[in-house]
Amino acid sequence: MKQEISVLMDGEMFEDEAELFFDKLKRQPQATQEWAVYHLIGDALRQPDHLHRDISSSFSERLQAEPTILAPHSRSPQRVRHYALSAVASVMALALVAWLSMQVGNEPAPQLAAVQQNNAVRPASFQANDYLMAHQEFSPSADVQGAASYIHTVAVR
Amino acid sequence: MGAVLALCLLWATTALADPLRLDAEWLRTMAFAAHQTNYSGVFVYQSGGRVEMSRITHLVDKDGEHERLEGLDGLRREVIRNNDKVWLYLGDKKVRVEKRRAQHAFPALLPEQIQALKENYQISQGEEDRVAEYHAHTVLFKPKDNLRYTRKMWAHSESGLLLKAVVLDERGRVIEQYAFSQLNIGGNIDRKWIISSESDAARLAQQGGLSPLPKASFENAPSGWQVDSVPPGFKKVLEMRRTISDRKLPVVHIVYSDGLAGISVFIEKVSEVTDIPGLSSQGAVHMYSRLVGENLVTVVGEVPPRTVIQVADSVRFAGE
Repeated sequence: MKQEISVLMDGEMFEDEAELFFDKLKRQPQATQEWAVYHLIGDALRQPDHLHRDISSSFSERLQAEPTILAPHSRSPQRVRHYALSAVASVMALALVAWLSMQVGNEPAPQLAAVQQNNAVRPASFQANDYLMAHQEFSPSADVQGAASYIHTVAVR
Repeated sequence: MGAVLALCLLWATTALADPLRLDAEWLRTMAFAAHQTNYSGVFVYQSGGRVEMSRITHLVDKDGEHERLEGLDGLRREVIRNNDKVWLYLGDKKVRVEKRRAQHAFPALLPEQIQALKENYQISQGEEDRVAEYHAHTVLFKPKDNLRYTRKMWAHSESGLLLKAVVLDERGRVIEQYAFSQLNIGGNIDRKWIISSESDAARLAQQGGLSPLPKASFENAPSGWQVDSVPPGFKKVLEMRRTISDRKLPVVHIVYSDGLAGISVFIEKVSEVTDIPGLSSQGAVHMYSRLVGENLVTVVGEVPPRTVIQVADSVRFAGE
């Protein structure tokens, strides 16, 4: 199964094979998880800038401990697989994130800058917290989200 | 068979007769559940390239509401709220104590807010789903203009607790989302973190070297400030002079709501022109500041950037 995922991700699987494989994937929840983890790892290897370094300390420690695997030209199915096996436990939580993104649509979540027209957008400053807190006391969305809406105030920046 | 069909028809006609009432009912249930349910769980928050995991705990007892949000990665980031008091911890040093308005400003969803919802959003129930092993109903709020965001909400079918929420822009791109990955509703929930008495709070503040709880003051009064371009459907909920954090002078705070999103306008006298922040953001919450004379006008809301800019640009002093 792992080999098949890897082959498919590399675009080396024939169409009819792929169809059979997708059927299989749908039937096995375990395989779906592996699928998500592989994609996450693929994303991590391609664009490390977009992953927050604090997502999981053990995850970033492992990233640092295995520099050769992360070297830009070293990406091969074999290495991805090796990496996946060694890091699967620590990226389980991240699989959920990959799942979140897949749930909503195939377009990646935009970077904030892309949302803007003319004004350069910046993450809110620490001082801005005063306003965020004051606003959130009265925001109707806080009414249904409870303490989760404080995420805007305590977000990493 | 006939009876089943009749029942189905009856259900269909009641559902069709006033789908809004039913969907808005979900929102009311969600707000009720958010305040009245005991729960504890871990949720994942994603916005742009940023992903965070947090633990959330909510308890209600005879003393009222207690809630706590802890970031699970990076530096310590924690919010504890006991009714009207909010403790905010950021990192090791930056610790603040805030006091929020004692009474919740408005009960969840007044009839006129439901009316506002209907005018500004197309509300529909979506598929049933599962989130964190709980069965969920989904409700979609699609705005009729591009001055607000689309929201999709997953509510626990039994309690109404919000299990997952997604905010999308007009092109269907995800602005932010969060979902529980693990959740316990009811059951044994750790209570050690609850700061229940004033003396506890004072002791804790001293231990942590926190600043004392600032005296909060909220005075409802017309401010003399006028906001000309509030998007249609946003109704003024409050206008007051209030204290914010440890600022010396009171700040004017005007709140608008369309039932789902809120817009706050803050007006603060500034003695010297410091760095004007311009546009900034935290997920779906955008903030825009500009100077009007000697006053710094800041607009904050969970609306698109164009909306906070439009509102801020229309703020003027109309006289006492």
